[in-house]
Amino acid sequence: MSPTIIWLDHSFGGIHAARLVLPHGSAMDPQGGAGMHQLLAGSLTRGCGDLGAVAFAEHIETLGGSLRSDTSDDRLVLALKCVSTDAPQLLPLLLEMVETPHLQDEQVRLEQDLNLQSLQRMQEDPFALAHEQLRLLLYGSGTYGHDPLGRRDELEGIDPEAIRHAARALPCHQATMVISGPADEPLQRLVQERISCWQASAGVRPQLGSISANNWAGVGADTEQSVLMLGFRTVPIHAPEALALRLLQVHLGVGMSSRLFQSLRETHGLVYDVGAELALRELESPFIWHLSTSAEQAVAALDALLAEWQQVLQAPLPEASLELARAKLRGQEALGRQTGAQRAERTALCLSLGLPGDYHQRAMEWIETISATDVLEAARRWLQHPVLSACGPAASLSALQSRWQQVVPPQRSAAAAR
Amino acid sequence: MPTDSLADLRPCLGYPAPQQRTLDNGCPVTLLPLAEASVACLQFWCQAGSWREQSGEAGIAHFLEHMVFKGSDGLPAGAFDHRVEAVGGQSNAATGFDDVHYHVLLPPEGLSLALELLPRLVLTPGLQEQDFQLERQVVLEELAQSEDQPEEVAFQQLLALGCGQHPYGRPILGTREDLQGMTPAAMGAFQSRHYRADRCAVAIGGRFDPEVVLHQLQSGPVGELPATTTAEAASAGLAVAPGRHRVHLPRLESARLLMLWAAPPAKAQQQLSGLDLWTTALAEGRSSRLVKRLREELQLVESIDLELHPLEDGSLMVLEAVCEPSQLEAVAQEVETLLQQAAAGMSQAELARARRLLEHGHRFSLEAIGPLTQMLGQTSLSRRLQSFDEPLQRLASWNSDSLKPLAAALDPSLACILEVLPL
Repeated sequence: MSPTIIWLDHSFGGIHAARLVLPHGSAMDPQGGAGMHQLLAGSLTRGCGDLGAVAFAEHIETLGGSLRSDTSDDRLVLALKCVSTDAPQLLPLLLEMVETPHLQDEQVRLEQDLNLQSLQRMQEDPFALAHEQLRLLLYGSGTYGHDPLGRRDELEGIDPEAIRHAARALPCHQATMVISGPADEPLQRLVQERISCWQASAGVRPQLGSISANNWAGVGADTEQSVLMLGFRTVPIHAPEALALRLLQVHLGVGMSSRLFQSLRETHGLVYDVGAELALRELESPFIWHLSTSAEQAVAALDALLAEWQQVLQAPLPEASLELARAKLRGQEALGRQTGAQRAERTALCLSLGLPGDYHQRAMEWIETISATDVLEAARRWLQHPVLSACGPAASLSALQSRWQQVVPPQRSAAAAR
Repeated sequence: MPTDSLADLRPCLGYPAPQQRTLDNGCPVTLLPLAEASVACLQFWCQAGSWREQSGEAGIAHFLEHMVFKGSDGLPAGAFDHRVEAVGGQSNAATGFDDVHYHVLLPPEGLSLALELLPRLVLTPGLQEQDFQLERQVVLEELAQSEDQPEEVAFQQLLALGCGQHPYGRPILGTREDLQGMTPAAMGAFQSRHYRADRCAVAIGGRFDPEVVLHQLQSGPVGELPATTTAEAASAGLAVAPGRHRVHLPRLESARLLMLWAAPPAKAQQQLSGLDLWTTALAEGRSSRLVKRLREELQLVESIDLELHPLEDGSLMVLEAVCEPSQLEAVAQEVETLLQQAAAGMSQAELARARRLLEHGHRFSLEAIGPLTQMLGQTSLSRRLQSFDEPLQRLASWNSDSLKPLAAALDPSLACILEVLPL
């Protein structure tokens, strides 16, 4: 295996967009080191090669470029956007960030402090509080169990030396670089030569821990609304059922015609915000149904949500609903490929996960062959065992907990769930 | 038949010149046909933002935007969403202080459907009693959700303290009291007062045939819109009351320093372009003065932002710094010192950097059809439609000397300052 480099030639307006994707997401955070890879990603923007932290920022900003370095659960992504005339100066910088980052104590400590403050500020948001607990229920304290920013107590303890150590794994053959914009031959050659020298191993791949024996978590907060998140641990993006679950998620949660929106908002007027997310990942992906509603109607909203869940397990989708979901997915595909940055990001993430670069286009053909029975079978296999995380006033939490335990008893074990 | 206007619009930055047309009733329609585009976008804009609300109407502009999606004659609730999404489209709407807009982004084949449905939905809303009661609950939930975010609460308090009785000081979502008292009849009256041909604009970008869409618009509800008969009462304009305030909020984790200044109205584009250069030089990127000093060197803040919001009755500039509660005093002092130093002007290097960041930000924003059409819709509504490179020319016209006096607009003694701390 060698690093993948793709140039997407179609571009507009003299703009280059590039994505360098590395298999070092927060899933790679070590036990007790939650937040390490996000800290690493942020620190990469604080000096490399001949440029110290200040000079690095000035260089990019003087050229009017846009540069981000972030981790998601699965991947570390460096993202660049610039006018094409600056690409010969800025593209090699992406490689330098990975090859020769400075990661000086003082700069890593600054980034660490900023991340700690961001984590603290996230505690103001009831959605973030509920989501934090939901991750723990679904994945425990290990892989996928925390926000990429980490956990306060663990992030505090990370030493800059550990960041420098983790950085050594970054320049690897599993890297994927996708550039949207006119291909300039010397630049192409330079990128190719540099990346082909990277090392073979990306490090030990992460593994998931077992799902929690608990299926309920409540976080008390003195808010007007209660946030409810119903979660399921489902399949990796490579699994045959992934697209069937994607169709179900679109049916339930995408757009104003979606089932949850129509039922909870338009019919019952219970919520403003309601949706369903399926973040397809390298390992078992979380499928989350969420809403927020005034504390006094939280139980009614839970009942409505559980009725939708029962419906999904009991009967196949009507053909018209399935066709609507397919149409919405096709629309998302078309509308989500407008800018060079969007195309580069999609292609890079797919290739990095071992999928074909045109996975999304091919998926549009595959969804035509997925039947309502396929969707029902996927739901019955993967949505049997929900967990519930709620955030809100104490009275609403205890009412929610007792209703939840009537409907979904907590004695389920990890073995029974799989 | 729709007529062409004489606006001087030129092709630039990779795009043809936008076509400005006017329907028989005076409603402007701006078209940007792009044969290569893979999508089409339809936007309907109207000057019925929360600014237009009168006593007892706080929140009616936004509530109406919700009610529009509950359907109209022959188009039951949900039918619009279903039909647009069934062709792979997405629709949404947003209400601001000055205006409200509705947009549909979809594959080009669906545009004719969107042109048939969106004007009916927006201009002939059903406003049925039962839907009204139900949707009011949804709007109240939206209000509750926003009130559960301490940052939102702090920002609303800043606007209320700074803008006083001006409508910009009121939340766009409205107040519980006014929302509870609203009736479909009052909403209907608000609708017909403001949704008028001369206070609306349509913009379409992407792949389509201009003559076909113009005909469809002219022969539908947009073409039938009456023009305004009564002039809007003149506003005294926005003033920001200087002062220093402090508030303690529950569930706040990090302290905030908020500062609010008045700036010239949106039509003063040249002045605002200069202020854009100032806010960028001061707070955009790690090399900017405030970020460099407060975040990178002194490590006093988690983040610091300074934004200019162009508004028709007087623009607003807002500074937000996020820090540990124990650092708030030090942050406030350092910010004031740096803002006072701005009066001495900015260097050539700072100007070059700020200009480039803004120029490239503008070029990047033109890449997708949605934001592009949005720019056309908003500038058509305010009668400031212009070539795509016009903002770049304004930025280029400034130099260090001409920018220097503008810094006075950010003098801390003119600001409404709110210090926000945990309980």
